[in-house]
This record gives sequence, structure tokens and C-alpha cells, in this order.
Amino acid sequence: MSDLLLEIKGLHAGIAGKEILKGIDLSVRRGEIHAVMGPNGAGKSTLSAVLTGRPDYQVTAGTVTFAGRNLLEMAPEERAWAGMFMSFQYPVEIPGVSITNFMKAAINARRKAQGLPEMKPAEFLKLMKEKMALVQMKGEFARREVNVGFSGGEKKRNEIFQMAMLEPVFSILDETDSGLDVDALKIVADGVNSLRSPERSGIVITHYQRLLQLIVPDVVHVLKDGRIVRTGGIELVDQIENEGYDSIA
Amino acid sequence: MTASPEVFVVGRDAVPSAVRLDGGESLRWTFVVPPGQSCELCVEVDLEGPGCEVDIAGVYLCKSDEKVGIRVLVRHDSGSCVSRQLFKGIVGGRAVAEFDGLIYVKEGAQKTKAYQENHTILLSGEARAESRPQLEIYADDVECSHGATTGYLDPAQEFYMRSRGIPEAEAKQLQMLAFVAPVLSRLPEALQEEIKALI
Repeated sequence: MSDLLLEIKGLHAGIAGKEILKGIDLSVRRGEIHAVMGPNGAGKSTLSAVLTGRPDYQVTAGTVTFAGRNLLEMAPEERAWAGMFMSFQYPVEIPGVSITNFMKAAINARRKAQGLPEMKPAEFLKLMKEKMALVQMKGEFARREVNVGFSGGEKKRNEIFQMAMLEPVFSILDETDSGLDVDALKIVADGVNSLRSPERSGIVITHYQRLLQLIVPDVVHVLKDGRIVRTGGIELVDQIENEGYDSIA
Repeated sequence: MTASPEVFVVGRDAVPSAVRLDGGESLRWTFVVPPGQSCELCVEVDLEGPGCEVDIAGVYLCKSDEKVGIRVLVRHDSGSCVSRQLFKGIVGGRAVAEFDGLIYVKEGAQKTKAYQENHTILLSGEARAESRPQLEIYADDVECSHGATTGYLDPAQEFYMRSRGIPEAEAKQLQMLAFVAPVLSRLPEALQEEIKALI
């Protein structure tokens, strides 16, 4: 098994004919957490959209290899089955679908793809209970419609709950800190940290340093105008905090 | 008249066309138009005495080249009655679905409450849905509303589900089931399952 989990080479991508990513190179090894920081409009969310296969984005050049496979040829659900997960910046409301039914469908779809039988109801309920506790969700949460009427904090906790349920090998946190108060941020970060392991990796996309004080990355990339302009360690986070993105060329 | 809920599957059950309610009577009807079933469904309810309650709902599922017409007329000839209508349709292929709903409130039928909703999801560019909700009101102390929407399945919802590993077809199915759930929940469980399997 290769140590390299995700390898992005020369990635150009955009939406509606407008190029946003202008040549990204980024490699993530197993067990590593990378931070991608950058000002608004740098292309952070485009990167997460392309990695998860959002149909309205187009890749115009470059390759992405995930666990030895050509990621760009895989459908969004196939990426999920292979262990990719994204915590959405703006989680989507799905009226009429309960959290329970949503998670049951997601888990059993992957099991089916892996040739496994459906998860037994008792096992599923136990898993739900355990993971809800992880993000401090009460019992009634399971019956609520997906993200409908959720506060900003509840939506982000729901994302981390789903991440915990699906146990991905590669997680993208897309501005998971936006709109969170200190308490919710702590719950989210604790949830993420509890899932860290030598086999699991992730990218934390953020504008600010505060989440990175709680989820400490191994590598920090600064994205500006569709390119990674600097890669370094945690010291980059401090530099951005003190001197702003303009200090990094 | 009884208040017991009645369910009519078009093409299988005899469907009522007109009914009169006297004071204090009520009815709760649910219509199902299954895939493959073209029809012209006309329902007229006359409320001739005060204190009636009418609750009519329907779901129509058109997948190929069906032509479905649904015409509902609720006449509030007497005051202090409540009527509700909820019709939901999923229209795909080259099917055509039309909904005409008229709420008529006679002069002097005060304290009438009448509501009507018709929502449609189109599954293809060639499917067509028309909705003509109408209110004809000749009394001044009434509460009436109608609403109609026509749209497509939400691609953002679909992507969100797919990103969690739910395959495209199943994601669409979940969205459709959620859309018709307010009507399906009125059916006996066995029929619910039968209709769900057709979606």
C-alpha cells in the first residue's frame, strides 16, 4: 500500500467556462492533515468541488490520483465508496428525508457496492447513537429532516456526525468553521480529532486560523488566485494571522 | 356521508365524481393516479350546509406518455365550512398533466375557509404540467388561499446525497418520495409500499 493517498498534479479547473484553479500540485500522505488557506476567491471551494466531483465544475487539465485510482473518472458516489468525504460549507436541506433514512441509505449503498449485506437495524441504531453523542446531538436529531430548520452550528455538527458515521479515509472540511460560535467550533474540532488515525487523512479548508488551533495540520498551503503560492508548516498560519495574506507572495 | 377516509386508485377503483354534503358532514378523499394511467378525473364537491369539512388530496405519477387531467371544483354554497386540497404530481417522459382547481364561494357563505395547493416536479424537458388554480369568491368574510409550483428535482440535493455514497438513481428516488410523502402518508401501509415501489 502506497503511503500516498491523494496526489493532485497540474490541476486546472473552473466553472461556466471561467478558469479558477490554474495549476495545483498537492500530495497528501496517509495520516496527514493539510490545511488549505487563502483569501476569498482564491479557489478553495473550487478545489473541494472538483475533488468530490460536483457536476457543474470542469477539469481542463491535470490529474488526481486517489488511493491509486483516477479520481476524476469516478462518480461522486464512487468517490464516497472509496472513502472520500466532504463536510459542506453550505449543507443542503432535504425536506421529507430523515437523518436516519439518509444515513441508512448512505451506509447501505456503500455496503452494497462492497458486496456486503445491509447493516442490521440494531447495529445501525447503536452506531447512530454512538456518533450522535460524539457531536452532542440529542435523540430527536435522528428523526429530524436533513438540515431542515437547523441552526448554523447544528448543520456543521451534522456534517461531522455524517463523517463519523461513514468513517472516511479522506475528509475535506470546507470552511467548516464559518458561522460557528466558540462552543460549536470546539464540538466540531473534537469530533474531527477523535477520528484522526495513521490511516486517515484530510484537507482543512479555511480562511481563518482559529480552527487550525484546534485541528492542528501537518502541512499548510496558501492558495491565491488558483495557485498554491506557499507550502510550509504551522508557522505559516501565524504569519497570515499577524501579517495577512498580502505578506505571502 | 361518513368521515371515514377513502382512497381511490384510478384505473382500479370506482372513482366518485360529485358529492353533496349537508351541514356538519365531512369527507376525506385521497386519489392515486399510478404510472401508465391516463385519465380525466373530475371531482365536484358541493357544501350545502354549514360546518362541513372537506379534505381532498391526490398524487399523480406519470412516467412515459400519459395524459392526466385533474379537475376539482369545491363549491362553498354554505358558510362556516372548511375545504383543503393538496395535489402533487411527478411528470416525466413526454407525459402531460393538467390541474384545474376551482374554489367557488357563494355570496353569503361567510366564515368559509378554503385552501388549495398543487405542486409538480418535472423529470424531463419534454414533460409538461399545467396548473390553473382559481378562486371565485362572492363573500367578504372568508379565508382562502391557493398555491401552485412546478419545478425540477434539486441538483444540489442530489449532489449532497451522492457525495454521501447514495447512487444517482436512488438519490432521485429519495427526493421524489419525500416530495409525495404528504399525500402517500394518507394511504394504507400496503398501498403506500406498492406506490413507493412504482416511484
